[in-house]
Amino acid sequence: MPSLGGLLKKRRTKDSQTLSKELEAGSSPTAAQTQTSPNQNHHSHQSHPTTTATSPDAAYTSAQPHQSSHDHHNRSSGTNRSHPEGQPSSMQSAVTQSPSAHHHHGHHHNNSHNVASIQNIIHSSHQSGQSVGGGSQQSQTRTTKGKYSLEDFSLQRTLGTGSFGRVHLVQSKHNHRFYAIKVLKKAQVVKMKQIEHTNDERRMLNRVRHPFLITLWGTWQDSRNLYMVMDFVEGGELFSLLRKSQRFPNPVAKFYAAEVTLALEYLHSHQIIYRDLKPENLLLDRHGHLKITDFGFAKEVPDITWTLCGTPDYLAPEVVSSKGYNKSVDWWSLGILIFEMLCGFTPFWDSGSPVKIYENILRGRVKYPPYLHPDAVDLLSQLITADLTKRLGNLHGGPEDVKNHPWFAEVTWDRLARKDIDAPYVPPIRGGQGDASQYDRYPEEQEAYGQGGEDIHGHLFPDF
Amino acid sequence: MAESSFSSASPHLKVGTKDDKTSAFRKISEDEEWEVTSPTDPTFQTANSAAASSSAGNNLFGGNVFNEPQGGGIRFRRSPFANSSGDGDEDQDDFDEHPEGPRPTGALNEGFPNNYALGRRTSVSAESLNPTSAGSDSWVPPHHPKTEDQVSRLKTAVSGNFLFSHLDDDQFKTVVDALVEKPIPAKGIKVISQGDAGDYFYIVEDGHFDVYIHPSGSVQSGTDGMGSKAGTIGPGGSFGELALMYNAPRAATIVSTDSKSTLWALDRITFRRILMDSAFQRRRMYEAFLEEVPLLSSLKPYERSKIADALDAIKFSAGSTIIREGDPGDAFYLLESGEVEAFKEGVDRPVKSYQRGDYFGELALLDDQPRAASIVAKTDVKVAKLGRDGFKRLLGPVEEIMRRAEYEQIQPKPAAS
Repeated sequence: MPSLGGLLKKRRTKDSQTLSKELEAGSSPTAAQTQTSPNQNHHSHQSHPTTTATSPDAAYTSAQPHQSSHDHHNRSSGTNRSHPEGQPSSMQSAVTQSPSAHHHHGHHHNNSHNVASIQNIIHSSHQSGQSVGGGSQQSQTRTTKGKYSLEDFSLQRTLGTGSFGRVHLVQSKHNHRFYAIKVLKKAQVVKMKQIEHTNDERRMLNRVRHPFLITLWGTWQDSRNLYMVMDFVEGGELFSLLRKSQRFPNPVAKFYAAEVTLALEYLHSHQIIYRDLKPENLLLDRHGHLKITDFGFAKEVPDITWTLCGTPDYLAPEVVSSKGYNKSVDWWSLGILIFEMLCGFTPFWDSGSPVKIYENILRGRVKYPPYLHPDAVDLLSQLITADLTKRLGNLHGGPEDVKNHPWFAEVTWDRLARKDIDAPYVPPIRGGQGDASQYDRYPEEQEAYGQGGEDIHGHLFPDF
Repeated sequence: MAESSFSSASPHLKVGTKDDKTSAFRKISEDEEWEVTSPTDPTFQTANSAAASSSAGNNLFGGNVFNEPQGGGIRFRRSPFANSSGDGDEDQDDFDEHPEGPRPTGALNEGFPNNYALGRRTSVSAESLNPTSAGSDSWVPPHHPKTEDQVSRLKTAVSGNFLFSHLDDDQFKTVVDALVEKPIPAKGIKVISQGDAGDYFYIVEDGHFDVYIHPSGSVQSGTDGMGSKAGTIGPGGSFGELALMYNAPRAATIVSTDSKSTLWALDRITFRRILMDSAFQRRRMYEAFLEEVPLLSSLKPYERSKIADALDAIKFSAGSTIIREGDPGDAFYLLESGEVEAFKEGVDRPVKSYQRGDYFGELALLDDQPRAASIVAKTDVKVAKLGRDGFKRLLGPVEEIMRRAEYEQIQPKPAAS
């Protein structure tokens, strides 16, 4: 029996309109029972043998992930695989990938403000040449830099708030899919002197593509705000799960830590440091896998950087003491993250002021609770160390040293990277796509977006 | 299914039916993962397909999934990495985590800090600083002359402050020089207001200041707008140090209580730039020194940079012995300032002398052969030290690095090594 996924793929290319309606229908409570509840499906796949085991897709078994052209040949249904894993160099932008996926578009989104770049035109035509089947072979591939506008979306509730703005759940008016839009107030960004970080955020997000990193679809700006369109990741923050659980059992913490490790390895291989690891910035997808979000401090750093940034509990001593630092800080933060997942609190926390936290960080004494597994303590003591010649991840072996640590002994890294290991917790997303129930509520803001007026800061954000 | 085939090395090279199936699953799930759905792409996407694809991931453990069971607690599936013996302590069928409710106390608490802040934590950031693009060469830190008395009082005032305690003498002097006098001409002046952006750090020279904290986090209008008094700061005291790190809202309001008082003030940009410039220059110096070491000539720039990160600056006073002849060698030294001399047993006069930028003991990076000479500080000196073990951990064995460049000139300096 063909998989549900396989069926949908085929039908989709035949008749996306019809299915589109079904999706809307699918959001009704009854339809959710039978169709769109990931939960239901999840249960069924545990007991039913009617999963993809007999899918016609099984014909692709020998195709290697890297041989995308071969892949495409085999896919009579013209699936929307835009990009084989493991070719980061071709990742011009998440958005430039999209053309290959468009089999039925063309008339929906000719936004007048789309700006073509030569790079993207080349990239697009290359991509469309690759897409086989589907029938439409659009020549009008998107030639945008990922420029959208407010009119492309209907704005829904707030998913989170920050110092310069907030993140909204939105629905695309074109495909009815859900996305998250991060809205940053330009005046606030300027006031907080975060122009460089904000431009870097866009640039870095644009460069990365990895299963455990959030996807940036595109950006735009109006006179007051910057907008970044990203995946909506249904499962909510790992932070919420951690606080509800108080602390994670050893294997659960290990699972999340391992996924973060792979993401850091990827980022560092691109000379990008992340600088703001913490449970608040880790989202769970609908299957329970992690996605790192908020690249507000991510930066390309081949050698050394100086700006003090991060989250107090998670700052490495070399950041606190203003010595200049590099990728090593992410490994320190990974240690703090693992500690917090296992214990429910961070090792240097103090009820007084942040100053106390910094004093503790520089003092460097960590008290490991007795319930921690000895392997975990061993790993943590090699991550949470001020001695850069001892910090795992920063040494000759690089990230492999972390991955080969005994605490991670059971982790099969290649399978984990393919999400081929079931997550320990599957978020209960019963409402199907667009179900934001896993996110905390925030007071909504009344200020309307998209207002006109003088744009005094626009020139500071040329990429948006 | 191949539950126990964890050892499988490369997924791409596998043959055999079982693995073929798993890789088929993988393909599908990966495919879903990478499916591109630009927001303006009308292509239909549904949660169904994605949900179905979750079955594509191997359900290795058959673990029962309880999503939010009755009672609201979180239950985790069995270990995602089951079939392992590594998690003996918690290898249960599933994890029935703490049901919601009051946090366990007492013994169950197991070291959980009191009053731990369970809310989301805000990120913090200073303004981006960059030594090269900011033109550090042209920037000179401000210099406000002070009497010796003042300097020693200032030293005492900040000696316990973590932001100053790790500064070296030069940095410390530059920072103290940069402190600017700020007279407070009257009583009742708000030096800083709770909730405002923080930019300056203050040290009290004379006079007294009251500290007020409003529970709302910022000054409110009205008579009790500053909140309640939380303390008094007198001469030698200081406040607002967090502003030297990043722009955090002020945690308290500080009001002068004397008709005339004096503060010393230092702003964040100046402070951070002093620290950055001196660290940057020291680093450049280290990197330049390292380039001169033949043993390390084949290091790539990022490797030199890594070594520079890990060098320990150590001071020796004149006459002290840095290396003793015959001791096993364990570290390598760069001479940052001052002069040192090498002595050999049975020879009266120094066999060699070293100046700034010279290095000694480098053969210790290769092995722990006994030191061939003693190194004694002729003046007060500052050296940068790197241990062999640390070097190896960072860059691997020196032999390999040497092999890279077909290192041929191992002409150990006769004296020190």
